[in-house]
Amino acid sequence: MPSISTIRSIPLFRSTSVLVAFVLLSLAAGFAGVAAGADKELQQLFIAEPYLELHAGPGRGYAVTNVVPRGDSVDVLYRRTEWFRVRTERGVEGWAHEREMVKTLLADGSAFSIDLGDRAGFASHKWEVGVLGGDYAGATLISTYLSRAFNDQLAIEFTASQFLGNASNGYTLDLGLTHVFRPDWRLSPFVSLGTGIIRIQPKGTLVLPEDRTDQTAYAGAGLRFYWTRRFFVRGEYRTHMVFTSRNENEEIDEWKLGLAFFF
Amino acid sequence: METRARVLLLTALLLPLAGCSSMSWNGDDQAAAEEPVAVEPDAVEGPPPTVIEPEVERREVKVGAIDAENIEVGAYFGALSIEDFGTNNVYGLRAAYHVTEDFFFEANFGRSKAGETSYETLGGNVELLTDDERRFTYYSLSLGYNLLPGEVYIGRGLAMNSALYLLGGIGSTKFAGDQHFTVNFGAGYRVLPTDWLAIHIDVQDLVFQSDLLGKDKLTNNIAAYIGATVFF
Repeated sequence: MPSISTIRSIPLFRSTSVLVAFVLLSLAAGFAGVAAGADKELQQLFIAEPYLELHAGPGRGYAVTNVVPRGDSVDVLYRRTEWFRVRTERGVEGWAHEREMVKTLLADGSAFSIDLGDRAGFASHKWEVGVLGGDYAGATLISTYLSRAFNDQLAIEFTASQFLGNASNGYTLDLGLTHVFRPDWRLSPFVSLGTGIIRIQPKGTLVLPEDRTDQTAYAGAGLRFYWTRRFFVRGEYRTHMVFTSRNENEEIDEWKLGLAFFF
Repeated sequence: METRARVLLLTALLLPLAGCSSMSWNGDDQAAAEEPVAVEPDAVEGPPPTVIEPEVERREVKVGAIDAENIEVGAYFGALSIEDFGTNNVYGLRAAYHVTEDFFFEANFGRSKAGETSYETLGGNVELLTDDERRFTYYSLSLGYNLLPGEVYIGRGLAMNSALYLLGGIGSTKFAGDQHFTVNFGAGYRVLPTDWLAIHIDVQDLVFQSDLLGKDKLTNNIAAYIGATVFF
C-alpha cells in the first residue's frame, strides 16, 4: 500500500509572485461568478430606424457584424463608454453606439433617453472627477477631486492633494461646496468654500522637527472650460487658512490646473 | 338621497345575479346543461358584470438601470530598473475609469526595492542607504489614450478585442528617504479574452529629480510589467 507521505508538501505561498497570481485568480473567479449570477431583467428596446448596426467591439473602427431590422427588439446587457452591448431576439450579441441607441423606442413607444457625454451633460451632471497639478506655497502640487452635484450649480467636493517642496512635504484633505454661476456657459466661473486638514512633514537634515497636522479653511475661485465629449479643463485658485497651535495663523496660496470629466 | 337610491338599485340588480352564480356553483353540470337560458356565460363564471372595472392596466415602461462597465481594477507584476540601483521586482495595483472609447484615467500604486549601486558592490562594506530607504513606493495618476484599438485572433474560432495605448501622468515616488514629484509616460497593450477580463503588458518610465548621488539629476526608472484587470 503506497504511503501518502511520499507526496512532497509544497509551501503554498513561496514567493510574492505566487501570492499576486493567487490574488488575481481569485479576483477573476469572483468576477466570473458575479457575471454568471447576474440574471436580472434587461432593458428591451425596439428599433425604429430602418436598422441598427452591431459592431464587433466597443469602438468606431470595429466591423459591423450584424444588423437588426426595424421592428425587432434588442436586450441591453451593459454599457461601456459610448457603446452598448446588446442581444438580439435571435441571441446574437454585439455593440451599438449611443447615438444609434437613442433612436430606439421603449415598449410603450416612447423614446429611449440616456445621458450623452456632450455640452448638455457638461451643464447638468451628477459626478465629476479630476486630476490637477500646480503650486502650493512654492511646493509642487498633485491634486485629485471628486464632486457630487446637488443641482446644476451646487456641488459637494472632496479634494485630496500631495505637495512636494524643498523644505517640507505633506498632504491635504478638503471637503467643501462649489457653486457654478452659469453651468450652461462653455467657459464658466465658480467659487468654492470649505474646510480640511493639512499634514506637514518637514525635511530636516540636521534637526528633525516633528510632523504636524492642522485644521484649515479655504475659499477659492476658478474657471472650467468644456473641451470635448465628457472632458473639461479646470483651473482654480484657493487661499487656505491654517489654524496652527502657535500664536499666528498661516495663509497658503494654492494654484492648480488640470483635466476633469463628468458622468 | 340620489346616492342611496343608486346603491339600492345596484343591490337589487346584484342580488339575483349572485343567486344565479351560487346556483351554478352548487348545482351539478347537468343542471347547468339543462338550463342554457338567458344567463350570460360571463355572469355565470366571472364576477358580477354590473361593476365595470377596466381589466387592461396601463403598461408602465420604466427605463431600467443599465450596467455601466467603465471601471477596470487589477494588479501587475514585473521588473523596475531604478537608476543606479539595478533592476528589481515591482508589483502594484491599478484602477482605471474609461471615460470615452478613446480616453481613460488610470491610477497606479506600485512597490519595489532597490538593489545596490555598483559603488556599493565594489566598495565592499559601503552602505549608501538603509534597508528601509531602499523601498521604492510610487503612485501615478495618468491619462490614457487608446491609440490602436483592434482585434487579435487565436486560431480560427477566437477573436479578442485589444488596444495599444499611450499613458502619461503625474505622481509621486518615495525613495531614499525623500518624496519626489514624478512624471510618468509609457505605452501598454491590452487584450480582452472576455468582455470583463483584460491582460496588460506595460512599459512605463518614471522620471524624477534626485540628488542622492551628490549631483542633482533627472533619473529615468523604467518599469515593464504584466498584469490582469477586470471590468465592472
